[in-house]
Amino acid sequence: MSTVFINDIEIEVGPKENLVQAAERAGVEIPHYCWHHDLSVVASCRMCLVEVGEKKPDGTIAMIPKLVPACQTPAKPNTVVITNSEKVKKAQAQTLEFLLLNHPLDCSICDQAGECYLQDYTYKYGKAQSRLNEPKVQRVDKYHIGEQIALFTDRCVMCTRCVRFTREISGTSELHVTNRGSVEEIDVYPGEPCNNKLAGNVVDLCPVGALCSKDFLYKKRVWWLKTQNSVCQGCSTGCSIHVDQEENRLYRIRPRENHLAQGSFMCDEGRFGWKYIESEARLFGPRVGKLQAASQHQTAHVGNGSSSKGNGTAVLHEQAALNELATVDPWPSVLNATRQAIKSVVDSAADRFAVVLSPMMFCEEAFMLAKYIKSINKKITLALGPVPVVGEDDIYPKGPKGEPPAPGKAKFTIRAEKCPNRLGVEAILKHFQGEVINFGTITERLNSKKFDGMYLVGGYPEAWLDASVLSKLDGLSTLIVQDFMNSPLTDMATIVLASATFAERQGTVVNHAGLAQEVQQSIRGATDIRPDGRLLFDLSQRQGMYSAASIRAEMAKEIPAFGAFAGEIGELGIQLFTTVEGKSA
Amino acid sequence: MSGLTEAAKQKIRDLLACYPSKQAVTLPALHIAQEEARCVTREAVREIADILELSPAQIHDTLSFYGFFKDEKHPLGENRIWVCRSLACMLRGGDELLAEVCERLHVSPGQTTKDGKATIELAECLGACDGAPCILVNDKLQLRMTADAVVSLAEGRA
Amino acid sequence: MTFEPVLLRRWGKPNSQSIETYMADGGYTALKKALAMEPPKVIEAVQKSGLRGRGGAGFSTGLKWTFLPKDVQGPIYLCINGDESEPGTFNNRVLLEEDPHQVLEGIVISGYATKSTTAYLYLRYEYGDCYRTCEKAIQEMYAKNLLGKNILGSGYSLDIYLHRGACAYICGEETGLIESLEGKRAWPRIKPPFPAIEGAFRRPTVVNNIETMACVTQILDRGPEWFQSLGIPSENPKDPGSYGPKLYCISGHVNKPGLVELPLGITARELIDKHAGGVWKGRKAKAVVPGGISMGFLSADELDTKLDFAGPGKAGCLGLGTAAVIVIDDQTSMVDVLYNTCRFFAHESCGQCTPCREGTAWSAKILARIRAGQGTLKDLDTLTDISNSIGIMPGTTICGLADGAAWPIKNALKKFRPEFEEYITSGRRSQSLEVAGAH
Repeated sequence: MSTVFINDIEIEVGPKENLVQAAERAGVEIPHYCWHHDLSVVASCRMCLVEVGEKKPDGTIAMIPKLVPACQTPAKPNTVVITNSEKVKKAQAQTLEFLLLNHPLDCSICDQAGECYLQDYTYKYGKAQSRLNEPKVQRVDKYHIGEQIALFTDRCVMCTRCVRFTREISGTSELHVTNRGSVEEIDVYPGEPCNNKLAGNVVDLCPVGALCSKDFLYKKRVWWLKTQNSVCQGCSTGCSIHVDQEENRLYRIRPRENHLAQGSFMCDEGRFGWKYIESEARLFGPRVGKLQAASQHQTAHVGNGSSSKGNGTAVLHEQAALNELATVDPWPSVLNATRQAIKSVVDSAADRFAVVLSPMMFCEEAFMLAKYIKSINKKITLALGPVPVVGEDDIYPKGPKGEPPAPGKAKFTIRAEKCPNRLGVEAILKHFQGEVINFGTITERLNSKKFDGMYLVGGYPEAWLDASVLSKLDGLSTLIVQDFMNSPLTDMATIVLASATFAERQGTVVNHAGLAQEVQQSIRGATDIRPDGRLLFDLSQRQGMYSAASIRAEMAKEIPAFGAFAGEIGELGIQLFTTVEGKSA
Repeated sequence: MSGLTEAAKQKIRDLLACYPSKQAVTLPALHIAQEEARCVTREAVREIADILELSPAQIHDTLSFYGFFKDEKHPLGENRIWVCRSLACMLRGGDELLAEVCERLHVSPGQTTKDGKATIELAECLGACDGAPCILVNDKLQLRMTADAVVSLAEGRA
Repeated sequence: MTFEPVLLRRWGKPNSQSIETYMADGGYTALKKALAMEPPKVIEAVQKSGLRGRGGAGFSTGLKWTFLPKDVQGPIYLCINGDESEPGTFNNRVLLEEDPHQVLEGIVISGYATKSTTAYLYLRYEYGDCYRTCEKAIQEMYAKNLLGKNILGSGYSLDIYLHRGACAYICGEETGLIESLEGKRAWPRIKPPFPAIEGAFRRPTVVNNIETMACVTQILDRGPEWFQSLGIPSENPKDPGSYGPKLYCISGHVNKPGLVELPLGITARELIDKHAGGVWKGRKAKAVVPGGISMGFLSADELDTKLDFAGPGKAGCLGLGTAAVIVIDDQTSMVDVLYNTCRFFAHESCGQCTPCREGTAWSAKILARIRAGQGTLKDLDTLTDISNSIGIMPGTTICGLADGAAWPIKNALKKFRPEFEEYITSGRRSQSLEVAGAH
């Protein structure tokens, strides 16, 4: 630790911090464009110029006569920094005038407006008028720069963050600077767009409205958006994210910086992969009793991914109406029927009933279900559902031939395990079942007809059981399915518990490295679906209202592995388990 | 358009021994490519990138910085004639020389004459201020130039 | 007493480029002397001579060498800056075309002194003849074991590789040169780290100029005392002095443009009148560029300024630069001249730092508008503001290109302001032709 002085504020700073970071600790903003703590320092935008000096042991201060970039200057002991002198203000205003010389006045149609550092800094540090008397340079926009990203070329301030990202973080090096001097631009090589799996990050990195997300383009002014902290469900990395929504509609997911989790970035699978939330194949309400044969055919079709999506839900609605449950809350009777269905199997042979927890579940949900089931009868088998694994871990930055980086050089990993909470659910299973029975074992036992009934929890964004398993399940007398998406499985279920996606739920997931993070509810789901936490809370006939925090407190008392749940989780999460993998990118 | 010949590729590979990084061969490789084809084709950029273990974008980043390399849509003429316009030449008629040459050859700076014999370029200081106005013909300096002399060089008469 | 050229003494002689001519004239004895000394002693000799880099910045060559870390394991690179691109400057061209061995000998001596393992001679593309003479000279050196393994049995080994540029002024900035050598766009690096610690290929590196190398040869040959005996001695303890011979390039409106070797410190007037045949057409000089256009302008009443390292600065110029003198006669419009310099820097700005990228382009546009008869007096204030806000001196850029762009503006608007005001208020337009185009 060393002491530095920012506008007479004395502040302790850590090693390897620069003056932008030191000032931030002192609550002083030093405006900057090119500098980003995860990228190399280029000190080229010259927005962060400050006056710097040194406080000598005798108390005198020796100032360097010229301005220096704060981003490039280490916060050495006794550094004196002045960020608000006339000299600094003049330089800031001058740099902004330069940056805005050829910048179009198109804020009214620019997606970045409202979260634009040109706007913000101009308001705070700029001057009202440009002295430019010449026509502005116009440049051609580049919609082709990436499948997910568009370049509004004349808004660019040439900070090169995007270029450095593709060279230093993704390693894919698609973006580059072309030409020289005032005619230089960001570009891709013809025919080689920036489509790497981390490409969306350049939109967040862009401090202005130059690189925009095509997915979000012209969808919503950002000041209408409300943001919740959440965790990406796409893989076991468990990226911290912001979920941006307005009026119960999700518009955008952005990475939320978390050095305990993934760092500053996220992958495009996670960033753009949430559209299933709005899928027409979503379940809209619960159901008791098997579907009619004719309807089953149709809905099975839906689950197979045919284009006739929507029919299934119509059928379900029809079914709900037939059950006379549409006008009143269907859940009390559905949950009652569920309890009865479990009881009827268990009463005859408890070991012929199994409950399959999903690695997509939140810890609180898995805990409530496991605890409830074991309270009915300890002989009921608790098992882990399929753990989706796709390929191998995808580690960045890539080498020139697309190879992964050397060990210890990883900056981002998209994990092969495509679920957010295997570790959390496994810990719960170990506690209640004594071991983790994997889904392979369950299918083997199914093959040898060891079960009469089963309660399966899904929560996967895609159909998650193949036909051979489905055919075995079809013979069960009781098949309870808790899921949010219509599928062949829900079609054959005797009871369907229509649940919610991560955006509609609250709870905790444990990532590959044992870090527990909280997912906050961002939006409300359809009227007759029920967030899993509340669903299980009610199923297990607990008293009061579901709250993730109170369930966690209960878990902390009952399961040693979840002892850390006694405290607050906080925005960054808490280290719950120590894993072999440790906390790496 | 086609890429590099095998001979050119070999020349590039041979240069790898001269530098501790493959990327350092970028500029020499681009020179080899342009000398061979009078431009650097897209395919050549890909091939150079492949040899140097870089992305085509990284090669293009360097290539485009210099303003020296021509793409396949704008190949060089038989001769490339740079007319200096920087101060020492300007004081001795460099601007007028360039203007007259362009007018007589019906080209703008950066363009190639219709017969493909010469590409006329404007140059910043060529380093022959003692012989202003000067020109560079390919990579040979010619001092104390007149429009007549430049035009006859361009037309292949000198 | 007339000064007998040393650096240029073989210029114009038959076969001046060949190793035979060079050796017959005593060539490579300096290298032999150096190889018989311990490397630190060679550095000491160069430091003692007072040699300051001839590339423009004028930093002490020997001192620069001492910045290399001690006991380096692994390669040290010596980069020779032959990207001579400062308008008005052509001394490196003459040295390499006429007498490559004098420079190459200096490179081997410098390499030995700095324990460099490889030397790269970065040569601007435009110097094709230099490239060919150097290529041949290097082959001759290998054949005589003046390069390669165990040079002359000394145990010291060095390879020199020629590396051709591609027409970009910024490659003359030492870290721009390093980036260009590494195959990247020539965006100068932020410092620290300085090249001595982390330069080419992230290794300790020395970057020296061509003429500096020729000086090193002569210092080893004739001794540091000889070098010290020439030029202008240090005026105060802070001034490192201006020692040795210097190659002055003279161009523009003089009767005899050319290259002259003289001890540092000749006045601009003497240089023009005695060594360049005076201003042409019987005219008078209106302004004189003292050391390449980035140094700014001397006015007609500042011609007695000594062209040593300190002189031009005293007259409000940026410095001696490359000692390339461009004479502008009294019939020339300073508006045209300033437009020319601004256009040059706008064209050559590497585009990395905002103030330089935008400021150089903007000032060229303003001057273009003034030349089109559309200027206002306010433009002159804007130009002054731009010139005061770009460069490493105010701290707003990474390298000195912007200072070089700013100085001609500052000097012109200070020393010739009435001419600019008259130009604008009279609604004049430029008479000179300009052709638009790009490359």
